Amino acid sequence: MAADDLPGVGADIAAGAHLPKLRPGTQPPPPSWLPRQRRGTTPQMIGRYPDFDVLDAVDTWDDATKKVVLARLESPGPLRFFSAEEEPTLVAFCDVVLAQDAEPRVPVAAMVDAKMADGKLDGYRYADMPRDPDTWRTVLAGLDHTARSAYGCSFAECSAERRENIVGEFAQGRLVGGPWDELNVARAWSVVMRGALAAFYSHPWAWNEIGFGGPAYPRGFLRLGGGAAGREPFETSGAVAVDPVREDSR
Amino acid sequence: MGTFWRGVLKGAVGPRDNDSRYLLDVHRRDLPGEATMRRYADDEEVDLLVVGAGAGGSVLAQRLARRGWTVVVLEAGPFWHPDEDWVSDEAGSHQLYWTQDRVIGGADPIELGKNNSGRGVGGSMVHYAGYTPRFHPSDFSTFADDGVGVDWPLSYADLRPHYERVERELPVAGQDWPWGYPHRYPFAPHPVTGAAGKLREGALACGIEMRVGPVGIINGTFGNRPHCIYRGYCLQGCKVNAKASPYVTHLPDALAHGVEVRANCMALRVEIDDATGAARGVVYAREGDGEHRRQRAKLVAVACYSIETPRLLLASTSKRHPHGLGNNADQVGRYVMVQGAAQSAGRWPEELRMYKAPPPEISSEQFYETDAARGFARGFSIQTVSPLPIGWAEHVLADGHWGRALREYMRDYNHWATIGVLNELLPHPENRVTLADETDTFGQPVARMDYTLSDNDKANMAFSAKVIHGVLDAAGAQDVLTIQRFAHLIGGARMGGSPENSVVDADHRVWGVPNVLVSDGSVCPTQGSANPALTIMALASRLAERLGA
Repeated sequence: MAADDLPGVGADIAAGAHLPKLRPGTQPPPPSWLPRQRRGTTPQMIGRYPDFDVLDAVDTWDDATKKVVLARLESPGPLRFFSAEEEPTLVAFCDVVLAQDAEPRVPVAAMVDAKMADGKLDGYRYADMPRDPDTWRTVLAGLDHTARSAYGCSFAECSAERRENIVGEFAQGRLVGGPWDELNVARAWSVVMRGALAAFYSHPWAWNEIGFGGPAYPRGFLRLGGGAAGREPFETSGAVAVDPVREDSR
Repeated sequence: MGTFWRGVLKGAVGPRDNDSRYLLDVHRRDLPGEATMRRYADDEEVDLLVVGAGAGGSVLAQRLARRGWTVVVLEAGPFWHPDEDWVSDEAGSHQLYWTQDRVIGGADPIELGKNNSGRGVGGSMVHYAGYTPRFHPSDFSTFADDGVGVDWPLSYADLRPHYERVERELPVAGQDWPWGYPHRYPFAPHPVTGAAGKLREGALACGIEMRVGPVGIINGTFGNRPHCIYRGYCLQGCKVNAKASPYVTHLPDALAHGVEVRANCMALRVEIDDATGAARGVVYAREGDGEHRRQRAKLVAVACYSIETPRLLLASTSKRHPHGLGNNADQVGRYVMVQGAAQSAGRWPEELRMYKAPPPEISSEQFYETDAARGFARGFSIQTVSPLPIGWAEHVLADGHWGRALREYMRDYNHWATIGVLNELLPHPENRVTLADETDTFGQPVARMDYTLSDNDKANMAFSAKVIHGVLDAAGAQDVLTIQRFAHLIGGARMGGSPENSVVDADHRVWGVPNVLVSDGSVCPTQGSANPALTIMALASRLAERLGA
């Protein structure tokens, strides 16, 4: 679908017509209104800054930061914490909550697995909840339980629409039965989403997608935001898929 | 110094009795003096043993070392080497936080970890945002004035000289301050970013006065500390040395005066001599070593903050103190507080790129005190903030978005600016830290923190949410996303006039134990709606003065 077919989106980032809460049903437009990434990599090769690659600045980062960030670009090994049986559900869940429906994907499932395997937890556990690694396991079992009882197949085997239905109920804290009865479901949602979001938005590909300037030590920033004058020379402005010249001549 | 001279000398006056800024290296970020640091044997009775190398413990150690005291500071976390250990990265900064097991309960459980808990030399000021407001005079008498909270056993006048002294040491940058006790700051305000500028426009349109600062981030140079480079990673540890934390403001001077900072050492209990009832020292264990050691000391200062201080006092049981130190009336761990810290983000047509510059920029204390017309006691402050991508993702999620909607809002990151509140939540005895049944790797019971909001708290939070939403509307925001959250810790070992309703007296001495002090934010009976760091340092500075420094 081209941007022309989406009433109200077009080339107009400024008007905010793409913002979910300003649209009927609070649903975003299909990502086809976005330009393909021309420089560097973004998840699914879509983004608002097609000519911006945060990794172009890697020579200006300090060594400690470089080491930590670039390690995320290495291809992940086999899972260490989750079992082979849990893997399809974990991967499917991470894909749905971050809308990763095509390659290239940020390996969210592997990053969550590494955090659990290394025991790098967040420093608190709700009194009515198990520890985070156990919460993850129970959530995965719960997703399969709900998928089997509602659709007769595992969560990973469900269609995209059915997976989204289940996750939508999970986000509302409304799932019950089986493994869900061992959890405070609303809190379980916040525990697993905390892990998934921290993994995805720590990845430089996601920074390219959103136009985030990334690490800036020791270089720093001189132009402190606010319109064109607030942009550093290496930062590019946002863009859409529509050719503005053709748009005008139509 | 008069107001005129304060203005003329802005940016040119440093503290007389703290050389930390000159001891730091221009080209390296390590704490100078680690290699040549004086060391004390466990069986050497030092004058002062401090537990916790954060805001309270470091200031106390620095002051007393300058008076010739022998001082050891035990710190559970690592001795940082910022050039190698700290990164310009959100997820990579996990080790700065206290992430050991803790349990949270109550009707409104408080998230800990990166939100409010530090670990390592420098404490949580290593990753605080940098706001350094003072408390208001009214904070010290909320019960007398409004019938809520409790009155402090000391007054604003007792703390004021120490606020001024610590503001020179950090040093604090900001506009002249019209609220509370009006005052000026030693450094000029920072430039305002496009994002914060939008929010200020909206506030002014609503009749809300906002001022730049106050932040413990230098605007200019300060000894060997360079100017801020506006990279925006204050919450990940300042690799520049521009943001104040004890690591750069007090520990260099402390080490130069013979303080030993013994890192990776977890205090397990304060050891009491059953014959005298006085503390003999502290039993501790090194990370990765099960052996229990005991450092002897004439005086022990517990400075582990609002969760670990009660935990240590409760774990320090003995024949004379079967319920823990200072706990004969069941007061330890009670009245722990947090501040309501909801944030709302607004969207504008132009790019604002809020990731630039320190997250703390401009603030207002116009709503700080009680206004009967609002229908609740006490108030809140307003502060601009600016989440980095992971923080922004949590913000978008909290507004109810996931999947494609979340990705869409995330892609719009550069068009948003964020404003937050700090609500004064009132102290309540059932909001408390206790020991849980489970134990940590040292065999020590872990802390459990229970928290439940009162009706006054909820009314305050609901009112303030409308105010900041109004600011965004007045500034022409096209869309608004909101996250409910909490920030900061304070209380849990509060000071007071009697052992029946407090844990320490006005001089921070634990009731019933002659030589154990508490020197951190847990002694605060109320919290105002100011960020606590400056007050914790000022209290430690006053305590040092009371001890003879």
